[in-house]
Amino acid sequence: MKNWQTSLTGLITAVLLSAAPANADTLRVGMECTYAPFNYRTSDGKLEGYDVDVAKGISEIIGVDFEYVCQEWDGMIPALLANKFDLIIASMSITDKRKEQIDFSSPYRNSVGRIVGPVGKDLKLFDDKGQPVVGNFDGLRIGVERASTYFEWFSAKLPKADLVLYDSNEAMYLDLKNGRVDVIMTNPMKAHLSFLSGEGKGKYEFIGPEVNEPKFFGPGVGVGLRKGNDELRDKISAAIRKLIREGKLKEYALKIFPFQIHDDAWAEE
Amino acid sequence: MEALNGWWDDYLLASVTVAKVFVCSLILMVIFGLLGASAKLSSNRLANAVGNAYTVFFRGTPEILVILLLYFGSAVSLTTIARVFDPSVAFVDIPPFWAGSIAIALVVGSYATETFRGAFNGVKSGSIEAARALGMNGLQTFFYIRIPEMWRIALPPFGNHMLSLIKDTALISIIGLNETLFVAKQAASTTGKPFTMYIVVGLIYLGFSTAITISVLLLEALANRHIQRRPS
Repeated sequence: MKNWQTSLTGLITAVLLSAAPANADTLRVGMECTYAPFNYRTSDGKLEGYDVDVAKGISEIIGVDFEYVCQEWDGMIPALLANKFDLIIASMSITDKRKEQIDFSSPYRNSVGRIVGPVGKDLKLFDDKGQPVVGNFDGLRIGVERASTYFEWFSAKLPKADLVLYDSNEAMYLDLKNGRVDVIMTNPMKAHLSFLSGEGKGKYEFIGPEVNEPKFFGPGVGVGLRKGNDELRDKISAAIRKLIREGKLKEYALKIFPFQIHDDAWAEE
Repeated sequence: MEALNGWWDDYLLASVTVAKVFVCSLILMVIFGLLGASAKLSSNRLANAVGNAYTVFFRGTPEILVILLLYFGSAVSLTTIARVFDPSVAFVDIPPFWAGSIAIALVVGSYATETFRGAFNGVKSGSIEAARALGMNGLQTFFYIRIPEMWRIALPPFGNHMLSLIKDTALISIIGLNETLFVAKQAASTTGKPFTMYIVVGLIYLGFSTAITISVLLLEALANRHIQRRPS
């Protein structure tokens, strides 16, 4: 009986060690592949969206081929740190908290949040200066995505808010429609495109102003990479600035939105 | 239903992936289960301890955690080990397919360990004595007597383990394996029709589990054919 046990152990060890080595000529890029219109897969299996366009633009300028890896949001940073891929180009906002673990390039997209809720409920969640009115959040169930900057904002500004956490944007919208949450805080660009101008038209609207606090939402969305890759980071930042100067970022945004979603000032170093 | 146009081929490919994961993890699960059961039944104290640690750990932790630990943990630890031997190695990695298959096989294998252990204990001592009396050695007794007899006892719970296994394959989407649930997530994000997309996944899994249930019934009929009453 000992014999077959030993040989099986050997077999399992062999499977574990027969893993693929890295190819030095390409960089692997992690993204969700489920975050339309920024990074998503069409029914033909093609990756599309703003993040994908930016990635392709960067790849062309720095002259390195990119390989795309689909990864769930929760595991995005762990996967980068575990060397599952080399770059995150997944609409990830640059924040101080994330910077403790990974590095970011210069930004390529705005990062703001906005609350979406049913039409005609005068909730008065924000005062005239755009600051949240703490008392009016009482008793509201608010949907946010787990591990997102919106979650951080609520934890700091409204620690008593009744938050419902979601793994995916889709599930959050479903629950908003079902009434399991009263309002959600999310990316206004995505909300405008995939919900408010479609299914939710006339029934849901933005509540309060855009919340734009760099302290929580960071200066914008950037390319994430492991610490200690300064040369690559500078190359990517330079490529992003070039994309802004050449009007490419604007072009990518206008494919989806009626407005650009970056700041031209980012082209300056 | 229109929303599904163009996604059928993705679902089909993803179903093939699910089937592949199922077959690989099933084989591994049987191996882990047999190893675990023989460790627990062994007279060796160390083997006992290892077997007990295995079932305590993997029956006591959530599957999803085991998948994440194996996927993310392996990349870091294997790379560190590989660099000791060859510093030029950039990274070593278990692909999502294998990380996921091994993880669910380890978890379901720990349940199978208990099933197999109970089934081995259920083998009649008279059969073993008879085998000894016929001059069979340990290995022969194992393959000709113990396995066929325990198999009959183990089959019904083993069918349940197979159902757990097929359903656990859906968990592997979290590490980016392109299986049906992952396709549904992508399709839901692109088309904005999550219900349609997830219902398809539900139907696919129902199909798989029905096939498994029927095969287990047939296998049970085969294993017990000698004790079945003949129609008079």
